[in-house]
Amino acid sequence: MNDARRRVAVTGVGLVTPVGNDVATTWDALLAGRSGGAEISLFDASGFSTHIAAEVKDFRNTLVTDRKLFKFTNRSHRFMLEAAEQALRDAGIRPTADDAHRWGCAVGAGMMTADFDDLVETHAHCAAGGELDADLLLTDRPANDPLVFCRGQAAEGLALLTRQYRIHGYATSVHTACASGGQAFGTAMKLIRRGYVDRVLAGGFDSMISPIGVAGFCLLSALSADNATPQRASRPFDATRNGFLLGEGAGFVVLEEWEAARARGAHIYAELAGDGNSLSSYRITDSPPDGDGPIQAMRQALADARATTGDIDYINAHGTSTPMNDRSESAAIHAVFGAGTARVAVSSTKSSMGHLIAAAGAVEGVVCALAIDRGEMPVNANLRDRDPDCDLDLVVGAPRRQRVRMTMSNSFGFGGSNSCIVMRHPEEVDGRAGQGG
Amino acid sequence: MAAPKVVITGSGAVCAGGMHPEEILAGIVEGRSAIGPIRQWDTTNWPTHLAGEIPDFNPRALVDDRKLHKLIRRTDLVGLYAASRAIELSGIVAQRDALAPEAAAAYSDRTGVIVGSGGGNFQNQYDYFPLMTEAHGDLKAFGSELGSNVNPMWLLRTLPNNVLGHIGIKHGLKGTNACITSHSIGGLLAVIEAMEALRAGEADRVVAVGHETPIEPQMVLYYYRMGLLASETLRPFDVARDGSQFGEGAGALVLETEASASHRSAPVLGEVLGSGYATEAQGLLAIRADGDGPARAMAQALDDAGLKAADVGMIVAHANGTPQSDTTEAAAIRTVFGGAAPPVTGFKWAFGHLIAAAGIIEAVIALAALKRHIVPGIATLRTLDPACEGLPVSARAQTPRSDIAMILCRGFSGTNAALLVRSA
Repeated sequence: MNDARRRVAVTGVGLVTPVGNDVATTWDALLAGRSGGAEISLFDASGFSTHIAAEVKDFRNTLVTDRKLFKFTNRSHRFMLEAAEQALRDAGIRPTADDAHRWGCAVGAGMMTADFDDLVETHAHCAAGGELDADLLLTDRPANDPLVFCRGQAAEGLALLTRQYRIHGYATSVHTACASGGQAFGTAMKLIRRGYVDRVLAGGFDSMISPIGVAGFCLLSALSADNATPQRASRPFDATRNGFLLGEGAGFVVLEEWEAARARGAHIYAELAGDGNSLSSYRITDSPPDGDGPIQAMRQALADARATTGDIDYINAHGTSTPMNDRSESAAIHAVFGAGTARVAVSSTKSSMGHLIAAAGAVEGVVCALAIDRGEMPVNANLRDRDPDCDLDLVVGAPRRQRVRMTMSNSFGFGGSNSCIVMRHPEEVDGRAGQGG
Repeated sequence: MAAPKVVITGSGAVCAGGMHPEEILAGIVEGRSAIGPIRQWDTTNWPTHLAGEIPDFNPRALVDDRKLHKLIRRTDLVGLYAASRAIELSGIVAQRDALAPEAAAAYSDRTGVIVGSGGGNFQNQYDYFPLMTEAHGDLKAFGSELGSNVNPMWLLRTLPNNVLGHIGIKHGLKGTNACITSHSIGGLLAVIEAMEALRAGEADRVVAVGHETPIEPQMVLYYYRMGLLASETLRPFDVARDGSQFGEGAGALVLETEASASHRSAPVLGEVLGSGYATEAQGLLAIRADGDGPARAMAQALDDAGLKAADVGMIVAHANGTPQSDTTEAAAIRTVFGGAAPPVTGFKWAFGHLIAAAGIIEAVIALAALKRHIVPGIATLRTLDPACEGLPVSARAQTPRSDIAMILCRGFSGTNAALLVRSA
């Protein structure tokens, strides 16, 4: 290990979530434990076994208003553009012609599919009987529209951001399902450590609240079917939890090499200090009950941050509210923290926002940066009946206000990827507060 | 502490040209293109009908576990195949399995998997067509009839990170991991990220994989409409070139720290020396006319590896056969190598453009070519485009100037990556 490695500062944050279309509104809702759950309004979901979700509400792009750009976007890209612009404005810095090649971009992108309306049109034209007649694609409107192609490409988000902000360095789009956002942050941190770039626009964006997206999760019985009580549907670590609440949105940060951020007097929310990554290699949809997999990711992240369990004051749990995840994650926290488990506060903000899938890790990474910056820990909403298998110091009722030295954010994905991101209070780095000159 | 040397101890490849790196290389050296008529659907009435399909595509020959076939797609089959070949050749799993349980667990935790994947496709969504027909446009019926019409595992089959998850499960690998969905450069980025993970001490061994099977009707049609497909033949750097052609397949490499490989006297195929990366940021499809991106990527790779341009023995260009891409690559090579470029070649003319798998399979083939001391010719090249004048390409085989190859890879979003490898 090289002790002289470069440190990474979080200097800008942006959020579009089911509980707020900016950072301030989202933060207030997370402190209050307000749920974004409701009946699905984006389409008629009444026939689905689950017809509730946590939608982003009353959204329109207010910061990026170049209409030309929007024809290349799907819903998740529009969240992305808004959250990324928020983060850059907040950081007060953006790429210039002189340093464009020293900026990178790392995003966790959702699982891209064609928009449902386009699929409906293709079905009507090419597969009215149920089976595709490939020859009819030749005269199908969506199948001949390059914009439909662009909007459905996994790399389109990257294309939009790098072009919009003139980012000329390392740019990458990753997808490990629900771990995507966390892995994007980890990748971004490493790009700065390696010296590839000095600044990175990093984040995650997703929206699966569409007939195909909801169908996919309904088929797996992964969603809570508490259709009558959408605001209570997501209750991580509660004994009665029965699946997750599907959310959507985007979270972005501006990351900078620490000394460069200090030199320009930037406000530093936190140090992005450590990244841990593991594969559960157990089942595609679960981690094992004993927490194997997540345990290694958490330990690696601590070691990478050169921290110990005693340094962590807050864990933003993956906490999906599925029976298996929360039990496995609790076991992992116990395995890693041992007797110290009682002294670390835990909450899953999915209790309010739902599960933002590929955006989850990025949004929750922002939550950790805010927890450090503001000295507040958001609540684990909806906890009434504690699961004895999830014996954690959960933040319930009211947010906790205290100095937060270090945080940990867990994200575990379908496919078995586990991501853990550790952040540190700026004073713990160089004795100076986050507030820039 | 200096970063450890990164060696290559396993490789695997599958594409239209064959099931093994040497077999694929042999076809290229003989000047045979494996591109032919598309057989996955009837293209009689189609304006384009050629691609590099894997002949006699047999799922069982690629992945023997039949239970798995229901859970994965065609693209996953080829990715798992190439990865398993590379893992077997390297002997890492055999070594792990000979260890005591605790040591074996630690070994698995220090073995990573990094995959470049194509992400979503269009065809998979057609699985909903029978349901849509039955629902007659009524979403309520669509929702309520879901369970009886669609494979309950549909979402899992669709995951872009299936190869990552299933390699992990099959071989018990549990270390650092990523799935990169950055269009064509994903596979080469997997190698670059694997190298960096080893350099940073995040793992002792990493399996890098790239896989994609883009030959499906809607995808082919988009590329055709965007003017990216060749009318007849993929002719990189030729004055008459008019586009690219799809191929399908996968490439895989096992990378290890030198210390990890030496513990079991593993067969070392080569070394990964360095990498470079640059974005042109012109949008999804556009690229700059001056070759700025590929030039910066190649210059950075030399810098990262501590090499001079004169040290490079051969360049495997992206060489996708589209008019603008090839010309800008020639310009970039001039920028970086001046008038003294080593022999340049490309492989897509022989088995097509494998998109996410392109860069990594070309790195695999480049290593095999270096081992044979040959720079295979581009057999479809007839008349060099005057805009590429001076570029040392040939329809015939050339001799590498050294045991080092530069692999250049480019993708949508204006992304460019370069990798330097040395043959053992």
